[in-house]
Amino acid sequence: MALLEVRGLRKSFGHGRNRVPAVRGVDLEIAPGETLGLVGESGCGKTTLGRVVVGLQAATEGEIIFDGETLDGKLGKPEYRRRVQMVFQHPSQSLNRRMRVATTLSEPLRLLHASAADQVAERVDVVLRLVGLGPDYLRRTPRQLSGGQQQRIAIARALMPEPDLVVLDEPTSSLDQSVRGRIIALLRSIQDERGVAYLFISHDLSTVRKIADRVAVMYLGRIVEEAPTEQVFEDPQHPYTKALLSAVPSMDLDNRGTRIILEGETPSPSALPQGCSFQDRCPLVHTRCRTEQPTLISLPDGRRVECFAVTSPSQAYEVNP
Amino acid sequence: MSLLEVDGLTVGLERSPHSLLREVGFTVEPGEVMGLVGESGSGKTMASLAIMGLLPSGIEQRGGTVRLEGRDLMDSGTGEIHRTANQMTMIFQDPRSALNPTMRIGRQIARVIETNQNASREKARAAALAALSHVGIPGAKRVFRAYPHQLSGGMCQRVMIAMALACKPRILIADEPTTALDVTIQAQIFDLINDLVQETGCGVLFITHDLGAIAEMCDRVTVLYGGQVMETGSLRGVFTQPLHPYTQFLFDAVEREVDPRVEEKGANFALAGCRFGHRCPYVFEACGQFPPLRTVIEGHRSACFLPEEGRIGAP
Repeated sequence: MALLEVRGLRKSFGHGRNRVPAVRGVDLEIAPGETLGLVGESGCGKTTLGRVVVGLQAATEGEIIFDGETLDGKLGKPEYRRRVQMVFQHPSQSLNRRMRVATTLSEPLRLLHASAADQVAERVDVVLRLVGLGPDYLRRTPRQLSGGQQQRIAIARALMPEPDLVVLDEPTSSLDQSVRGRIIALLRSIQDERGVAYLFISHDLSTVRKIADRVAVMYLGRIVEEAPTEQVFEDPQHPYTKALLSAVPSMDLDNRGTRIILEGETPSPSALPQGCSFQDRCPLVHTRCRTEQPTLISLPDGRRVECFAVTSPSQAYEVNP
Repeated sequence: MSLLEVDGLTVGLERSPHSLLREVGFTVEPGEVMGLVGESGSGKTMASLAIMGLLPSGIEQRGGTVRLEGRDLMDSGTGEIHRTANQMTMIFQDPRSALNPTMRIGRQIARVIETNQNASREKARAAALAALSHVGIPGAKRVFRAYPHQLSGGMCQRVMIAMALACKPRILIADEPTTALDVTIQAQIFDLINDLVQETGCGVLFITHDLGAIAEMCDRVTVLYGGQVMETGSLRGVFTQPLHPYTQFLFDAVEREVDPRVEEKGANFALAGCRFGHRCPYVFEACGQFPPLRTVIEGHRSACFLPEEGRIGAP
């Protein structure tokens, strides 16, 4: 059974004419101990989706089912808050500058009334070791730590209440390449040891490839393709996924200049065209795409794709553009 | 004679004995994209600012020369930087903060043209509009009248490029031009820069931390760490046969996990010897001294004592 199930999730900001739909109907599942990578460009709604899952923002519509129980209200029950944790992009901003590491780490347990005081210190010690730091870090404040160490502390803080799911929102984007690799390795070893599931949100495709079991690609508030990681990277189906992957600069010198270059820019979410939101940039666009919203359809090989040209090619091409 | 020749460039904080850039040198040829790659704090941006003569106050140039088409840019008498704006231009990482938020796009570009080419207001206006269409902006007339906040990041970067190229520079310095942009927009900007280089034959100094972007854009590459040039050579040379332990580490960091000894230590600007010495797995006595850049293979230079000692850095 899935650990987390998201059904028909929608989230809009603003009212009336200023209404901006950030998430426009998302279905996804995460199994226990699994990593789902959520990729997309800025403004596609991936962070909003993560925040709604954690309960930092209430969904406008749709259901979040965690471990068989439907989440209601903005923050959910204390038990949900304990079991679902989050790590943010900028550790320097998400850590309290005036708190020492020991306080930062014991704070979640104190707030959740989860452990007796004498057990807290023990747990801090265990988790600090788990993220590869020693007890000599306990008395430091964030500014006495490097960016990589700060992110380790942020991860440790999320792990304190022994969560089942951690939402990681661009956890490595503010770090240097060399530090990035260490954090990914750390996250993987924690997962092996603790069986925690990750929702790994990132715009950095190469990082996602290193950590995710499955990948969901988001474009303008909808998931356009979802499949096991290697399938997405080796054989992408949706035209947006194809363009996105080919746009990533590769270190392979022999494939220079074989990029698919999309025309134009992502339309504003507040003025979306009718039909498929990718239509104006899509090389496969047909009349049907301009009138009808495609839905995520499962293909025989287990992946899900939201594109008429892929899921029902004959119908899509009936009418010429 | 190279188009741009940087030699022995040394820059430091006033009243501090340590230098932020130490004897940095490289060249850029016409029609060539030279990549300058390094992690944050490696001195990439400092080098570009020094070349442009834009060093912030409190930071002084202590030595070295910057030559454009053989002409020294620094006046030996006064120590002043010659005005070179119409021959060297620069585009920045965050295009929106590089534009004036209170001025319409068209006016900003026109002003650059007026100042640098002594053009009349009307002429500059027409040239600015032409420059906008030139960089592939759809609806150039509308963008001409827009303010920066009304445009996307990708559009703002196109405007910056239009502004930079309006002066027909010999050298374009692009400091992380796409770091703030999405990958699909990044691909468009790369394409645009490539087209413009082919068309105008200008040289580009392309600064980035992204090895993929280097592979995509550059002809030659210079690797910087701790304000010191570690290695410089052709793209293929450096990518297929990295000579310096730091370059090897940089490539390894992308592909797999690396030796934790090399990890998570910032550059140490107080080191008298090699700036990578405190992280290098092959460090030995000689590394206590400053390693000059030496040619190892034709056209491929490395600042490391290992090759000469016969201990080329392979584990």
